[in-house]
Amino acid sequence: MRIRAIAFLTFSGFLRNKLMILFLALFAVVVLLMMTPLMIFRAQAGAQAIHTESMVLGLIGSIMSLLSGFGSLLAAWAAADAVWSDIRSGTILAVLARPVRRWEFLLGKFLGSQLLMAAYVLMMLALSYLLAAIGGEHIHPAPWLLIVYPLVRYALYSGLAMLLATVMHPVVSFAIMLVIMVLELVVSPGSRAPYLPTWFKAGLYSVLPSPELLSEIRFLTITEASLKHTAPLHHLTALAYGLDWTLVFFLLAAWLFGRRSLLRG
Amino acid sequence: MPPAIEFHSVTKQYRGRSSGEGVTALADVSFEVAAGEVCGFLGPNGAGKTTCINTLMGFLFADSGEVAVLGYPPGDVRAKSRIGFVPENFAFHPFLTASKLLRFHSVLAGLDAEIAASRIPELIAKAQLCGHEDLHIGKYSRGMVQRLGIAQALLGDPQLLVLDEPTSGLDPAGRRDVRENLLALKSLGKTVFLSSHNLTELEQFADRVIIIDHGRLLCEGPLAEMLDRGGRVAILVDSLPAEMDLFLSDRGAAIERGAQNVRVLVDPALKREAVERLWAAGCDVVSMYPVRSSLEDLFLTLVSDAEKAR
Repeated sequence: MRIRAIAFLTFSGFLRNKLMILFLALFAVVVLLMMTPLMIFRAQAGAQAIHTESMVLGLIGSIMSLLSGFGSLLAAWAAADAVWSDIRSGTILAVLARPVRRWEFLLGKFLGSQLLMAAYVLMMLALSYLLAAIGGEHIHPAPWLLIVYPLVRYALYSGLAMLLATVMHPVVSFAIMLVIMVLELVVSPGSRAPYLPTWFKAGLYSVLPSPELLSEIRFLTITEASLKHTAPLHHLTALAYGLDWTLVFFLLAAWLFGRRSLLRG
Repeated sequence: MPPAIEFHSVTKQYRGRSSGEGVTALADVSFEVAAGEVCGFLGPNGAGKTTCINTLMGFLFADSGEVAVLGYPPGDVRAKSRIGFVPENFAFHPFLTASKLLRFHSVLAGLDAEIAASRIPELIAKAQLCGHEDLHIGKYSRGMVQRLGIAQALLGDPQLLVLDEPTSGLDPAGRRDVRENLLALKSLGKTVFLSSHNLTELEQFADRVIIIDHGRLLCEGPLAEMLDRGGRVAILVDSLPAEMDLFLSDRGAAIERGAQNVRVLVDPALKREAVERLWAAGCDVVSMYPVRSSLEDLFLTLVSDAEKAR
């Protein structure tokens, strides 16, 4: 009950966060602008069907990748800010003066940020169906794939950001998260980064969590990979991999949070 | 019954991030507060009062020493379930209303929903927030927030109340209400640990007083004993010659010159000698009576003595 109450309060706080509203509004404007050419291509589909179709698919893929990447950043920011904003404002003192363990508080904050991400994923899912409908495509995989995969990926990023935010300022943790995300992209097997030595890429790839494995984009009909059949065991392994990282990050964060002062500075 | 609060040789230093130099917030502080006592916790600004309170609430960790609250280590949920806490500069989520905030805290306190449903309107009324309970806390005045803070501390019928400057930001009527609340809690046998700068108010209901300065304990004990210890004798005379002025000042007497007469405050041990010298000097001793020192006098004397000793 306590964890649930903290989670819902955290979620309510996010929905009223002016910075969050501003960023989401800006992002919605960008997505809408990107959708404009999609509608134009759709109108011209009769004339050059094959050419237009490939452009439409490319554009939808770009929008979905952008949304997915923004979601990762949002997950990291939300988790890092969730605890820090309570410490900064001093509201944490009244909450932790109650019979609430520190890990319970942290878990509540984590789940609150995941509620936000769940809302984001549902909006993303709705948008992907909308884009597919505008582009005259169909999304074949089951919706749960497009919900669970990004949720697990965002949980992983939230866990890592929360871990960093327990020992440093959220802005610094967010900056580190950005670096980690870029590094993950650079060292992934499909990346084109010839300037990096192979041993460096291989080393980092084995150390960093792989977002590629947890990407829902590969299941969308608009990508080639989604055409491949995926066995249930594969889903299980991929999701367990993400949850395993999340659990490790959360446990470390809880351990560090249990040892830190709850005061500003 | 174990003491409600135990501090044994507690030391806490704050270290600068860049310099690494430490500032001692608490130095070997030891005291106990018995169950059922109302204990005033005093000290000038920066004395270490809030550090002490944050340590006993489990928000900070002492570098050394031992702390126990209601027989448990600080931060233990078994102790926290019996504590009501009002921090200094109480902060709430500004988007909540008073009712929602109290509901949230009732869940955190593990209160039964039915008990919470009856207790919350009662506390809102007590905090004089009726008619404002559905307004966002962000729109409250400082006094309203403070009253709400005290209301939430009373939510779970706590055995120990820890209050850090509870009357700051309150108008005289608000301060009187807090005082009455504390007197009511005292009559119910609750333990109250109260940090305050309002010494006159504290003098009215505190059983025990702890005074710290620069992280060091200056004195602690039952308030009545402390005030008696610092008591003086007032000798009222019609006039005071210059040589007597010097003589009395050398012996630590305080001299207050009025329009009609002069009041000389001396240590009780010196009263006989002082009166005899005054008679011998030709002064007319109008009256002599014991003066109990106030908590404010005691506090200022102790802090000033500590300052001189440094």
